[in-house]
Amino acid sequence: MSYEKPIPLKNEDNAPFWDAADRHELFLQKCHTCQQFAHPPGPACAKCGSSDLTWENLGTDIKGRVYSYVISHRPFLPGFQNDTPLVIAVIELATYPEVKMIGNILNHAIEDIHIGMEVEMTWQKINDGRSLPQWE
Amino acid sequence: MENIKNKYAIVGVGESERSKKSGTTPLHLALDAARAAIADAGLETKEIDGFMSYSENDSCPAHQLSTYLGVRPKYVKDIMGGGSSTEMLIADAIGLIETGQVNTVLIYRSMNGRSGVRMGGGGWDVNMLQNAMDGGSFLIPYGAGSPGQWFGLFATRHMHETGLTKEHLGHVCVSFYEHAQRNPKAFFYGKPLTMEAYHDTPDLSFPFNKHDFCLESDEANAIIVTSAKRAEQLPNQPAYIMGIAARQCVSHAHYWTNVDEVASDYVAKDVYKKAGVTAKDLDVASIYDCYSWVVLRQLEAYEIAKRGEVGDFVADGHLKMGGKLPSNTAGGMLSEGYTHGMNNVIEIVRQIRHDYEGSDRQVKDCEVGLCTGWAGPDIAGAMILRN
Repeated sequence: MSYEKPIPLKNEDNAPFWDAADRHELFLQKCHTCQQFAHPPGPACAKCGSSDLTWENLGTDIKGRVYSYVISHRPFLPGFQNDTPLVIAVIELATYPEVKMIGNILNHAIEDIHIGMEVEMTWQKINDGRSLPQWE
Repeated sequence: MENIKNKYAIVGVGESERSKKSGTTPLHLALDAARAAIADAGLETKEIDGFMSYSENDSCPAHQLSTYLGVRPKYVKDIMGGGSSTEMLIADAIGLIETGQVNTVLIYRSMNGRSGVRMGGGGWDVNMLQNAMDGGSFLIPYGAGSPGQWFGLFATRHMHETGLTKEHLGHVCVSFYEHAQRNPKAFFYGKPLTMEAYHDTPDLSFPFNKHDFCLESDEANAIIVTSAKRAEQLPNQPAYIMGIAARQCVSHAHYWTNVDEVASDYVAKDVYKKAGVTAKDLDVASIYDCYSWVVLRQLEAYEIAKRGEVGDFVADGHLKMGGKLPSNTAGGMLSEGYTHGMNNVIEIVRQIRHDYEGSDRQVKDCEVGLCTGWAGPDIAGAMILRN
């Protein structure tokens, strides 16, 4: 079955993140000036305004905790009609809790989802070239 | 900066018919609302020399409205925006009057919000959304396409930290629906909500069910702002603006990376300082209610109840008539109608002017009222009005 959901669009600010995701790695933008991660990535650091930005490879073993979540019982976007109930969560990284990422929590019963729950990053294959970072 | 406390006033408010299918254009709706506000103010139409509107590209331009009112304005402005735009444009109008650009400004919001462009979404191109929203590619591929989901991420965390429950969300809904039973123009007039029915309603997007979401309506609202000096020559009681915090922001467009802080936290301090009052001085409120939780979070931000005590505040009925702070007394956007906040502004003006005197809809002896705007967790504004 073909992938009907929206595929992340790459642009000049976010391409290294999504390119890494396609290789099943996590790359995060980091500011050289204030030494803070800048996620989601942007044209400059949203914490200090510096454009002295770099990318850090966090690898493939990514652990996190559920910081918050919603459970959608209705598809609010096209392509998600077979994905309800859908858990959309804010995940804080175990190693860098100041970094929060949005993702879906896969392969868990809805009743088990809770704040503080430990999850691991996984990569959901979209097609031959693309993959989406997810959590389970 | 000049202190503008009590130097400006809202002198007229008006609305078009409210429906789910207006069968007409936003221009027709805006004309109806504008004429009603002008009549309410007791002004000659030609005295309005400034026109301002906010929209999501779903309205009619201010220049067009002024043209069909037969006016040659000195100033027109159309901004993109939703919640908290009313407060911001009132502040803009005050600035223009203060500097002698115009004398009297009509601000309106006109929308076919149900039969035309729906805020709740539907039918949007997903790639357009990814590009249009800053950081959209980090939300849309995960199915997060609705403010109900984005704000829900704030709500779940806040509820976890402060002990708020679904029951407390329900109290906001039940209280506002109760107000709507006194307002024959509210969509949910004749349709009260019990807590039992609230709990029996399945979630659309946990923690929210359909009652926690605002309505969609076709309608236009208009308000008129002028100087207190001019207001005193008009036939009706004005609502004086004690203080206004036009707009404050937190974080940036990726506001979901910080779900612990909202712009209202900063607006609250600013608006109380400007008005010279505290939460204890408030008699009535219009609290932006695109979602029930947004009300709870603002009760905390505006220090109406302490963090951790907001749930008890609403459970004890303090948003209802006779409570400590009757709020959204026309039913709010949860049960009256939805114009990105302007219908709540109209209601608080009417309460502050004691328009409902002699009926059970009037908040007794209300002298000071708070009106809040919420464009999102990241952008907010507020004003305080007095009799």
